[in-house]
Amino acid sequence: MPKSQYVDPGKAFEAGYIHFEDIPVCQYNKTLKEELKIYSKADMIRIYRDMAIIREFETMLNDVKTKSNYNGVEYNNPGPAHLSIGQEASAVGEAYALDINDLSFGSHRSHGEILAKGLSSIEKLDDKELYDIMKEFLDGAVLSVVEKHMNAGGNVKELAINFLLYGALAEIFARKTGFNRGLGGSMHAFFILFGLMPNNAIVGASAPIALGAALYKRSNHKPGIVISNCGDGATGRGPVLESLNFASMDQITKLWGMDGKFSDGGMPILFNVFNNHYGMGGQTRGETMGFDMVARLGAGFNPSQMHAERVNGYDPLAVIDAVSRKKQLLLEGKGPALLDVVTYRVSGHSPSDSSTYRTAEEIEAWKAADPIEAFKTKLVLGKVATIAELDKIKEDITNRMTEIMKLAINDEISPRMDLNKEPDAIASMMFSNQKVVSMDPTREADVMMPKEECPRVKEIKGKIRTATDANGKPVSKMKMYNVCDGLFEPIIDKFYEDPTLIAYGEDNRDWGGAFGVYKKMTEAIPYHRFFNSPISESAIVGSAVGYAMCGGRAIVELMYADFIGCAGDEIFNQMAKWQAMSAGILKMPIVLRVSVGSKYGAQHSQDWTALCAHIPGLKVVFPSTPSDAKGLMTSALNGTDPVVFFESQRVYGFGEEFMKDGVPEGHYEVPFGEPDVKRAGKDVTILTIGAVLYRAMEAAKILEEKYGISAEVIDTRSIVPFNYEKVVESVKKTGKVLIVGDACERGSVMRDMASNITELCFDYLDGPPVVVGSRNWITPSFELEKSFFPQASWIIDALAEKILPIPGYVPTQNFTEIEKIERSKKGI
Amino acid sequence: MAIPVIMPRQGQSVESCIITSWNKKVGDTVEKGEILFSYETDKSSFDEAAPESGKLLAIFHEEGDDVPCLENVCVIGNDGEDAAQFAPAGEAAAPAEAAPAATTEVKAEAPVAEAAPVAAAEISGAISPRARALAEKTGADLLKAAPTGPNGRIIERDVQSLVDRGLTVSGAASAEYKTAVEGSGISGKVMLGDLNAPAAVAEAAPAAAAASALPEYEDVKMPNIRKIIAKQMTASLTGMAQLTLNTSFDATKIMDLRKSLKAGGEAMGLPNITINDIILFAVSRVILGHKGVNAHCLEDTIRYFNTVNLGIAVDSPKGLIVPTLFHAEKLSLAALSKEAKGIIKSAQAGSISPDLLKGGTFTISNLGAMGIESFTPIINPPQTAILGVDCITRRLKEVDGEDVVYPAMGLSLTFDHRVLDGADAARFLKDLVQALENFDLLLVK
Repeated sequence: MPKSQYVDPGKAFEAGYIHFEDIPVCQYNKTLKEELKIYSKADMIRIYRDMAIIREFETMLNDVKTKSNYNGVEYNNPGPAHLSIGQEASAVGEAYALDINDLSFGSHRSHGEILAKGLSSIEKLDDKELYDIMKEFLDGAVLSVVEKHMNAGGNVKELAINFLLYGALAEIFARKTGFNRGLGGSMHAFFILFGLMPNNAIVGASAPIALGAALYKRSNHKPGIVISNCGDGATGRGPVLESLNFASMDQITKLWGMDGKFSDGGMPILFNVFNNHYGMGGQTRGETMGFDMVARLGAGFNPSQMHAERVNGYDPLAVIDAVSRKKQLLLEGKGPALLDVVTYRVSGHSPSDSSTYRTAEEIEAWKAADPIEAFKTKLVLGKVATIAELDKIKEDITNRMTEIMKLAINDEISPRMDLNKEPDAIASMMFSNQKVVSMDPTREADVMMPKEECPRVKEIKGKIRTATDANGKPVSKMKMYNVCDGLFEPIIDKFYEDPTLIAYGEDNRDWGGAFGVYKKMTEAIPYHRFFNSPISESAIVGSAVGYAMCGGRAIVELMYADFIGCAGDEIFNQMAKWQAMSAGILKMPIVLRVSVGSKYGAQHSQDWTALCAHIPGLKVVFPSTPSDAKGLMTSALNGTDPVVFFESQRVYGFGEEFMKDGVPEGHYEVPFGEPDVKRAGKDVTILTIGAVLYRAMEAAKILEEKYGISAEVIDTRSIVPFNYEKVVESVKKTGKVLIVGDACERGSVMRDMASNITELCFDYLDGPPVVVGSRNWITPSFELEKSFFPQASWIIDALAEKILPIPGYVPTQNFTEIEKIERSKKGI
Repeated sequence: MAIPVIMPRQGQSVESCIITSWNKKVGDTVEKGEILFSYETDKSSFDEAAPESGKLLAIFHEEGDDVPCLENVCVIGNDGEDAAQFAPAGEAAAPAEAAPAATTEVKAEAPVAEAAPVAAAEISGAISPRARALAEKTGADLLKAAPTGPNGRIIERDVQSLVDRGLTVSGAASAEYKTAVEGSGISGKVMLGDLNAPAAVAEAAPAAAAASALPEYEDVKMPNIRKIIAKQMTASLTGMAQLTLNTSFDATKIMDLRKSLKAGGEAMGLPNITINDIILFAVSRVILGHKGVNAHCLEDTIRYFNTVNLGIAVDSPKGLIVPTLFHAEKLSLAALSKEAKGIIKSAQAGSISPDLLKGGTFTISNLGAMGIESFTPIINPPQTAILGVDCITRRLKEVDGEDVVYPAMGLSLTFDHRVLDGADAARFLKDLVQALENFDLLLVK
């Protein structure tokens, strides 16, 4: 809601019509003769060859899956194989028009796209460059296999084709010599150095990720375009639709830019739909969708209708023509674009597909229209090549594929990861754990004024960095350095330090985020690095994933932790998993800020740390003091791992109560995983997660003053990773521990920690570790919250009832075993 | 602040004690350390001193009452303070005369819960790992713990309380320590010796009930000491392979010695040495050559002693008591006699120190004075033998072809056949007979 754009009630109600342009449908009609003016005969033969390679590759996998035998070689492949027989012309046609700077993202059915894009890049890279890429990749692990065991006749491009086919197949067969050490597999194979970005087993999930890659190009002024491939079925998914809209946002052309630069240009992304008519078995046109043709969608997203077009995907030349035109538009800054490439999957959704949803007649009709055979005929008739020449190409491919398959299934040459010998092989890839201050130290950051002049920086400079003054009097809220300031300082520093850093989310810019963490930053940081996103949680998080994959660093914000569900796949499957799924090739420097509310009831008050902590690959932190907020944010922003950064709305305005000298000036890191003893004690340990720290401190005070019990309060600060040593040390001392947090207690991080503490401290425990969490209810309204969230008195109740009866103490809450069993029986 | 005085628990097996006398009455002023009341267990008598100075506000149990251990007995405090809150459940407090109204009134309001968590409301047998570890480290006597954790769990503070009160078990004793006993070590530490509780040793009670003309019978509750004796006797007989060897010896020499001691001993400053002292002495000298009878049988281990701690069965008004004469092998006859007299006397008076009721390695039970000619004493586990001393009878023996009458004194040795064989036991008896018949030589030795 920029003030520069006036919302005029006079215009808002103006009468008129929305006009649509015609959307071209299969309008390509060039003759071979015309095309031969553009393409050489060699190009034409190469187009044929690339399609034939894909066909053979997929046929091989189909044979392995259905007969456990390809060309006389026996093999059993238990993994998935979503084949694209029939879609070769679409893949090759698209890739032909792309160069090495163009990135392509795909789906679970993307072997064809990988091979096509790879073959296209091999053709476009010069030999030296090509060889260096292969040699450096995984220290030559893939190259050495094909160099040693196959004869490429000294031809680097032939060697590279072997490299591509072998790297992809070894990956599909889960071999250590695969492109991702076998950790990605069929549905996630990729090879960034050829512009083959990760494919995705979650339908439609690549759309926001590809959007993020385009955002990286747009915000960092990088050359090339991004292709987001998906099937027609995926267009029913929210993340895809969110991405179409996000990419089309007005602000990109209307508001972005600074100092007269970077202002032109829409999002350089082509949403390419391989429209094979089915989402698994659901027929999109006629059954599960209402758009009739996918291309119609373009008209819904922006006035240029996303330059949408429907193309004959059975004709590689038609596809090349269309993709080339769209690419040109994108390079001219007129993106985004949408292509509806009509094709057909002759093979099943997977080898277990019995085609219950289509007739044999239909399949036969499409087989008769086979794009490779049709193109072959065209070339022969056009005298571009003879049948013998083309058959020889086909024969060579079969031989090559057989050879590659033998290599890929040879356990000596292509071993699998040996998790007995290297038990930590996967564990070591879950996080990259690097400290990278700037993701691109070669560039200056785009900023609009020196940092010192940023109004917020000036404001913070004048603030008192403690909660109380020298006389112990509370500092006025206006003058006090609070948790928001603690978050802001490392973020603004990073904006100046790392040119790739961008921050976005709903209402981030002018509003400063719903809770003002980014307040008064608009003057310093340009739009293309700091903007309001549409209310599209999937696209917000998913785009950050794509942004990070390309080498950038992003802070994205979901306003309320309760909205995590809206970006479930992007957080849990994408952000969390890509580092390990890429065998450590990708880094994921993303900070996902989520805030835990209160006062706003059932859908705006939830601590969902447990959901995030459960998913391998995410780091999860939850600071509650300004010093910890600053130190942990600094660590998060210097790191290369995805961090879900929990904040609590209860304490945004809190000053520093624990550090005597206040929040330290300048850079410092609070290391991830290290809890902090906020109050020393000897009789009982209270381990806190999040803002409940302050209620625990209150309980500790009461225990000390009224009952002579000395409580040690430890703030977890981090949840993943978490070092139990300090907690164990404390529990060894006290023998008693309460784990307290605002999450509903069932299945919570508290429960997990209680279980771990029991294992680690069993012999030292004087009673069971007791969890004091919120009730397993909906969060009621603010007025009733004290019966829902743990209170200081609950902590004392739990101690007295479960661990250490306190003479004379009358509990208010029922923590007895009978009550526990009853509640559990009822699921409450 | 008013404080309750509880009936102390003198060992885990002791469930209750009898108040024998009150030195104070309600309303009396008491000084810290002054004796409030005396009470007795099945073994000993004790005095309970006032823990604080103040006024005796309430007495919940009268003389002769059998009071459960740890239950409040009385309350000390200041005038006007509430004593009723400490009244044991179901007991009406004897209100302090000074403030009768106040106590009743407060009683109604006092929350039951307030007193409950401190005392062991219920005992589940559960113990926290931490409490167990502390007990192992400190040797705390868990059998005496008063659990204050949830659901009767023993928690760290309960063990710490035991340690603070010195209620611990020695390392040597801990292995066999199954049933709580009073400790004889410092501050009541349970020593290995305590596990051979003399209470275990007793003969079957002679049925000597005088016929009465009045009611046909009378039901009398077994006192604790009787119950314990009954249990231990049964355990002894069922847990061991006991058998008894009987023999006798010519007591001429020891009777002569006794005569001469009687005549001139006093002048020499010697105590009145009895036949029993002489037998104790002889045993203390002979037994070290027969390790099997001066031993403990501990499951699969036999512990042979290099010292002789003689248990002496004493017939006290309350029942059998067996004080121990430690290191008898090091004592002269005169010293042994003197010490034996001392402990027998205090045992009979019921005021013997618990230290002296433990630690025996061999026991002697003398029924000779009752005219018993032969009997089967029962071993006090884990000891392996017990010597019964019988009366003197006149017997004939042939000396130089003539029948000579001599005083024959019977000896009945019960031994545990698991530990030693009949021949071993017989050899001990033979040497003992030899020593007693040549006691003068033994004294020289």
